[in-house]
Amino acid sequence: MIVSNWRKALLPILLSVVLLFSACSSKEPSKYAQVQKDTTGRNAPVAVAKNAEAGGDFNKFFPEGSAGYARVFSQEKKGFAEAKLNKDGKNVAVLSISDTSSLPATAKKYEKSISKLNNYPLLDEPALKSTGVLVNNRFQVKVASRDASFTAEDRQLWLQKFNLGGLSTLK
Amino acid sequence: MSKSIFELVDELPTGGLTVMSLNALDFVIPGQWQNIVGFDKTIELVTGTDDPDYIQAIGERAVALYNDKSEGYQTAMWLYNTVDSGSRLLGAAAIANKVGQNFSMLGFLGNITPKAETAQTIDLSVKLVAEIVAFCQINGIPGDSVGDFLAALGDYGGESLMRMAALVCFDGLIPLGPDFIGMVADKMGGMSPKELEGNQTFKGIKDQIPGGDTGGKLGFITESFGSVSGWMSDFVSSRGLTPQKVVGNLRNFVEITDDKLDYLGAFLDVSTNYYSHTGTQTLARRLIERAAAEM
Repeated sequence: MIVSNWRKALLPILLSVVLLFSACSSKEPSKYAQVQKDTTGRNAPVAVAKNAEAGGDFNKFFPEGSAGYARVFSQEKKGFAEAKLNKDGKNVAVLSISDTSSLPATAKKYEKSISKLNNYPLLDEPALKSTGVLVNNRFQVKVASRDASFTAEDRQLWLQKFNLGGLSTLK
Repeated sequence: MSKSIFELVDELPTGGLTVMSLNALDFVIPGQWQNIVGFDKTIELVTGTDDPDYIQAIGERAVALYNDKSEGYQTAMWLYNTVDSGSRLLGAAAIANKVGQNFSMLGFLGNITPKAETAQTIDLSVKLVAEIVAFCQINGIPGDSVGDFLAALGDYGGESLMRMAALVCFDGLIPLGPDFIGMVADKMGGMSPKELEGNQTFKGIKDQIPGGDTGGKLGFITESFGSVSGWMSDFVSSRGLTPQKVVGNLRNFVEITDDKLDYLGAFLDVSTNYYSHTGTQTLARRLIERAAAEM
């Protein structure tokens, strides 16, 4: 009798132990699991807007290399163009122009901008070590530091070297 | 279902034969390559930020870009992986060939397996073309533009430069010797499309190679190798690279018994995947740079 009761009590204990172990060993989903789910599959949205500007159209608005800085074009994709800024063979900054029609949130963040460059809203993001302007509410021009020697002042200086007026004529 | 980009980068090995072999090449390009493993870690290192909200946002954008097949990133990853698979098969065949040569009873193997030198020559050239095509898939620029690739090659650093260093050392110097550049040029010049079609590495990626039919693709591969041979030649001579030097350094990191020396190139092909390892790192870096810039 006592033996039978003992066995009956064992089953729920064993079940709890099994559940406890499976809970401990099951992996937590990655923080990118949701975006992975949202961007895969047949009906996933495209990453780049259909009418985004061709990256090659941005190239002519980039500043040339000067004063010991060499400019090397590094990426040219739909809605995006990028160039590296190198000094003495070392990459110190990255210049880019992107079409925010693919990422409206990017344009929206300029609403909290409190300063301007050539009348365009300017935003410095110290946590990203980058400074950008938004041209015609659509094209983000950005300079990002890739070395401690390239300061926030340097970023503004190089932003000014872009042909922002020319970029604003793009429809 | 193919793996997500964050899984691919998170799961890169931190040790093992591939990593050891690449570390053994540090003497060629000192300090240029760190084995960066982990998606978030790569975001932190590329952008310099440790802000978790920014990391999340950049990571999400990079994932979205990778998952959009039309952006070409998955094609690049496929190229890197397929080249490594082809190399593994080639390496195994070359080892079988060598084994056949060493044992008279197995001499028939030497007839049914492709000559190691020819196979290694094609492997090197096709890997180079895969690098050009993957470069264009990732960074843009028309797929045919060897000239643009050459300009960018001068700016190669980090894991991309390490991949080229490994290509020169493991796929050039070790299996083909110090005159590998001239040897490849000669062999490619005298090669028939049919010979190319029999090669595993070529078969895997041929649809991505510009040139139309196999004859045209052979022409593109030969031209590409010719254009890059100047860069390769400078790379070797400026560093005084020799097969002995590379093997010597490799032996500091990887146990290589004397009997393996004969087919070390094939052994490396079979047991390492330096191409897809560094290719994954290159791809992650470019994706993250773009995602961070678009924020």
